[in-house]
Amino acid sequence: MDAANLDRLVDTDRVHRSVYTDPAIFELEMERIWGRAWIFVGHESQVAEAGQYFATTIGRQPVMMTRDEAGGLHVLFNRCAHKGARLVGEGAGRADKAIRCCYHGWRFGLDGRLLSIPMADGYDGTRFGKGCPEADVQPLSRAESYRGFVFASLAAEGPGLVAWLGGAASSIDNMVDRAPGGDLEVTGGVLRFEHDSNWKFFVENLNDLMHPMVVHQSSSLTARDVAKAELGPEATMPPALQIIAPFTESYRFFDEMGLHAFEWGHGYSGGKTSIHAKYSDVPEYNAAMEAAYGPERVAEIFAVNRHNTVFYPSATIKGPIQTMRIVKPLAVDRTVIESWTFRLKGAPDELLRRSILYCNLINSSANLVGPDDQEAYRRQQQGLRAEGAEWVAMHRDLGREEDLGEGHLYAKGSSDLAFRNQFRAWKRYMAGVA
Amino acid sequence: MSTADLARHHQVSQFLFHEARLLDERRWDEWADLFTEDGVYWAPAAHDQPDADFHVSLIHDDALLRKVRIARFADPNAFALQPFPRTAHLITNVMIDEDDATMGRLLTTSRFAMFEFRADAQRIYGGAYRHELVVDGEDFRIVRKTATLVDCEGLQETVGVYF
Repeated sequence: MDAANLDRLVDTDRVHRSVYTDPAIFELEMERIWGRAWIFVGHESQVAEAGQYFATTIGRQPVMMTRDEAGGLHVLFNRCAHKGARLVGEGAGRADKAIRCCYHGWRFGLDGRLLSIPMADGYDGTRFGKGCPEADVQPLSRAESYRGFVFASLAAEGPGLVAWLGGAASSIDNMVDRAPGGDLEVTGGVLRFEHDSNWKFFVENLNDLMHPMVVHQSSSLTARDVAKAELGPEATMPPALQIIAPFTESYRFFDEMGLHAFEWGHGYSGGKTSIHAKYSDVPEYNAAMEAAYGPERVAEIFAVNRHNTVFYPSATIKGPIQTMRIVKPLAVDRTVIESWTFRLKGAPDELLRRSILYCNLINSSANLVGPDDQEAYRRQQQGLRAEGAEWVAMHRDLGREEDLGEGHLYAKGSSDLAFRNQFRAWKRYMAGVA
Repeated sequence: MSTADLARHHQVSQFLFHEARLLDERRWDEWADLFTEDGVYWAPAAHDQPDADFHVSLIHDDALLRKVRIARFADPNAFALQPFPRTAHLITNVMIDEDDATMGRLLTTSRFAMFEFRADAQRIYGGAYRHELVVDGEDFRIVRKTATLVDCEGLQETVGVYF
């Protein structure tokens, strides 16, 4: 597809339906967005010790994050340098001193360097074998960690991670700062929710604040009704219902949460408040935070309460509840959303218990909230087959965003700013501009 | 196996079949009444998952969450459940692992398959059930039902009903 045709698919206020339905455009996205942007790989706590690895995908390509003997962190292609077999299975594992290929027994260090080949002298006098850089497991072009969050890029050129994250990095800061011990740890397993819809529906929806009170009526209003009937109108809701109930806050509440947008498609909703702001206090946690930071700094940290932050296109976090959802596109109409949970180091177990509960109730494929979102995307995927209407709207409050400087835009929550901002980045990546 | 053992096995199997039938016939309130007040329904997200507090689960419902879920089944805005899924739960390999008369507790494990028809496609879920029952006169009530899917660690599509 040539540049002029691609350019016509995205206006400032609308996008053509084919960006969600055309397999050729999906292939181009894999090359130009997922092949260029910083893509989330994992968290350093998953490879805390030498010999540990964590294998995942970037786009459709197998990669692994590893920790070598000297403590160095690497992001490598999960592919034997010899005949290309994938080296380790997906997920976390430990290789001790070497990763051994299952096929011909080539052994590699956790830094990717070739350690040994059976009957290595067979390569003498050839242009391959030990000492040849191509015989090592190949590193990705770029890999960087920001406060423990490891991203990698398949492209050699482009902005550094910190510059790319821009103002959205403050959401990672706030999530990490919420740990009295100043650090996070991935724990508690993973939910792997398969969506039969395009990946962009998910990343758009996270900061679509006009949908929760509609899509989540059946779970959230029901939770409120059950709480009233079972516990009485004045009773404090148990944690599970405190999590579900705010999804049907008023339009005004979501509007006042506000939207923030940054370069490269990033953004977050909420700020001073969000649907996560009214959970019951855990006094032991507040005490641990005050002991670690002092009351003034703690007040600053808790004053920031964001809903979803999107690091476009792959990573989304919820700082106040310490969860992350990772986007893994498989095909134009197939996407896996993984949900991860973090322990705040130094915090009482109650916080982790609440994060786990949140993931169960909201992000599980078998639960009360996420499946209705998924149904909305599924219906979009089906509805957009209609050829009689070519455009998808994102006109709401066009031009009414405030420019806060340094690429930071702000709008009220009901604005379509998040979508327009994501497609601005989409267009820039797809045009081939690094 | 003695006649008494056979009768006990039959009684336990009939209880499990009855529970499955209530699910398939959408008799949710009767189904919920099979649980004790603090009874738990659990579908773990990993094999050998030690607990539901510090590890995510596909479903982990206490009585209150069962009430919310069941009330939602009837909600016209529960879009993911339209049209409402049809299911057939099949139960087999029923074993009584513990039958403690003094404590009034019984533990039974079985294997299940759930056929589900939703959104123009039939899906098959399969796995192991573990029922911790309290003996209630001639009947049983569920203290904890665990439904572990064989593919609980794999990719999961939306599923709106109880396994």
